[in-house]
Amino acid sequence: MSAVPLVEQLSREMGISTAAALFDGLAPRTVDPVLAPMFRRGGLPRGEIVTLTGGQSLSCALATIAVATQEQKWCAGIGLGEPAVSSIADLGVDLDHFVNLVTPAEDWLRVVSILIESFDVLVVDPGFLPSAGERARLLAKVRERKISFISLTSMPGSTEQIEITDTQWSGTERGHGRLRSCLVQARSQTGVHRFLLPGPEGTPAEAPAPTPAEGISERPVIRSVS
Amino acid sequence: MVAANAPARAAGIALGNNKRAVGYRCPEAHVVAWDEEADNRHFSAGVGALEELVARFTLLSPGTLAIPLDSLKHGYADEPSAVEALISALVSATGWEFFPGIAGTVFAAVLAAGQARRVEPGETAEFLAVQPVSTLEYAGAGATELIDTFTQLGLRTLGDLAALDARDVNSRFGALGKRAHDLATGVEWTPLSDHVREERLNVELGLDTPTTRSDTLGFLTRQLAAELLTAVRSRGLVCTQITIELIAVSGQSSKRTWRIEDMNENTIADRLRWQAEGWLAGATRQGPAAARTGPQTGSGPQAQAGSAPQIGTAPDDPGPDPEDFSEEGIIAVGLVAAELTTPIGATRSLFDENTGQVTHTLERLQGLFGPDSVLVPGLQGGWDPAETNLWTPWQQAASPVRSPGAPWPGALHAPRPTTVEHLPVDVLAAGGRPVGARPAGLESAPYAIRFPTGTTEEIADYSGSWPVESGWWDPAKAIYRTRLQVVTGSGQALLLSKENGQWYITGRYR
Repeated sequence: MSAVPLVEQLSREMGISTAAALFDGLAPRTVDPVLAPMFRRGGLPRGEIVTLTGGQSLSCALATIAVATQEQKWCAGIGLGEPAVSSIADLGVDLDHFVNLVTPAEDWLRVVSILIESFDVLVVDPGFLPSAGERARLLAKVRERKISFISLTSMPGSTEQIEITDTQWSGTERGHGRLRSCLVQARSQTGVHRFLLPGPEGTPAEAPAPTPAEGISERPVIRSVS
Repeated sequence: MVAANAPARAAGIALGNNKRAVGYRCPEAHVVAWDEEADNRHFSAGVGALEELVARFTLLSPGTLAIPLDSLKHGYADEPSAVEALISALVSATGWEFFPGIAGTVFAAVLAAGQARRVEPGETAEFLAVQPVSTLEYAGAGATELIDTFTQLGLRTLGDLAALDARDVNSRFGALGKRAHDLATGVEWTPLSDHVREERLNVELGLDTPTTRSDTLGFLTRQLAAELLTAVRSRGLVCTQITIELIAVSGQSSKRTWRIEDMNENTIADRLRWQAEGWLAGATRQGPAAARTGPQTGSGPQAQAGSAPQIGTAPDDPGPDPEDFSEEGIIAVGLVAAELTTPIGATRSLFDENTGQVTHTLERLQGLFGPDSVLVPGLQGGWDPAETNLWTPWQQAASPVRSPGAPWPGALHAPRPTTVEHLPVDVLAAGGRPVGARPAGLESAPYAIRFPTGTTEEIADYSGSWPVESGWWDPAKAIYRTRLQVVTGSGQALLLSKENGQWYITGRYR
């Protein structure tokens, strides 16, 4: 009796091709060091569905894929509306490897099934929730093609759920400043994380202080725009 | 002052003068703002005469052209007679004065032309050695700084620079320094690309009766495209971009440039079909009011007969039936080879990761959902994200409307909103009155925001307002706009802008 049929079955059904992969799975994609602690294995998992929900979730998703696009991985956005190119660029996404799909919302699953063939990362705001059967097929396809799939609405079957529970913008100063940064509190399987998204530079940044109250009150606004 | 003609120079106007000095020396002088494109156009049209005389030449810049001497060897007995023939032909064709210069490298020849002299073969290095280092301006943008540095280092002539070791110059000044050193020592940098003959490779086809059927158009295009590609191939070239122009009965036209990796008649026909379908569907969606303007210049019974059912159909019916979805139809098709290159230039690089597969996937999506469904991002100039956005359909040439290089005072700083919208809203002050905006600031503090759905949300915090005023010199282009960032009670940040007395959500931070 040989192990070949078993190996084939494992690689087909679970996307596992070597013994090491059985234990570690696929190496996750590198993400910005500020965002890395949110993920169980320190990076964007491949062959799995990650959900990112709550306020600032689109910014968070774009910041997450930034490093992958800089590594020449192709990324597509589906159902995102019209993203602002300037903010995509600010978050560090390589514009040469990002494509935005403007397709009818009810066709998102069809679009995904085509893009899955050659793309590495998909950011999807699904127009509707798939049925159990469609979801199983999607999961199998995602696993087989080893792509990273970020959904902006919660979806059963996802392996990592990141929920942004609180956003606090600072810098507006009741008519005397402008938006500077947003303190985000996110909950994932690894715990509760705080960081600035976007930070003062437009990219993710470490939270300024351990407590949010201090973080905001200690930020003086020197320049005021009148 | 960058250029002056002979009568102007006779009046004492010199290069580098400012406008006031010109007016002082010669009040009747006509001063025109410099426009590189006009220069280029004017010049390349003028030197068309040269195409009949020499096989190869290169336009270096408006006013300068280079001819390799070996291309003249077969046509003329010796150099002087060749130069004489060329100059007299150019002068009689254009009426401009030309100065010839002959030297071992193009750079040296340009310098020699300034003195209208011939540098003997092998003497190019000596000729260059005595030239001042400021002549390196020829090397292009960025050279000015380098020239200053060289002068400060005591390198006054090209000879001083050439005396340095090439490796030292390279390690200290980088690629530009290396280029300058090469120029100074008389080493040719790259062989100049030859001027490709200015024939426009294009084909046109007029249809006997206007059609709205994209399959008919696709069929006709296949033959037309084959004709064009044969013409391109017979010149030993490859076409990488193609411009497709469709002309409707009403005289309107749709012109798009497509980049196609595997250009053949089928892929061209596909693009034309997409373009035609998108255009006709768009024209139908505008409704009868827009459509009725069509047949005023329409000719033939086809347009007239078809107009009645069109107005009858409801505008919200996008009309999947191609038979009667537009009363006009397409009467002529044109294809222009927009970008030609040598076959080696068209091969795909080994280092592009799976672009072939990505191209295939995206083309499939374009085939299913229309070409405008797959958009790639780009940036252009503008104040707000909605203006800087430049989403271009995959494999079409981007055409920015506003220059990103120009200054945009008052442009939005990072953090910028993630998505762009244009949704009318009401911004209310504490008493329920709408908030007015003046260039100096808001009239009252915003308190709540009312969305078109009817829901009202409290404004927790708001930024200073900042105005954009532009185009006040031209009523058609005038923009008066006040921007404001607000954070609603639920913690959502929005970018609002007020234009023509109405507040809009123009961006959402999400």
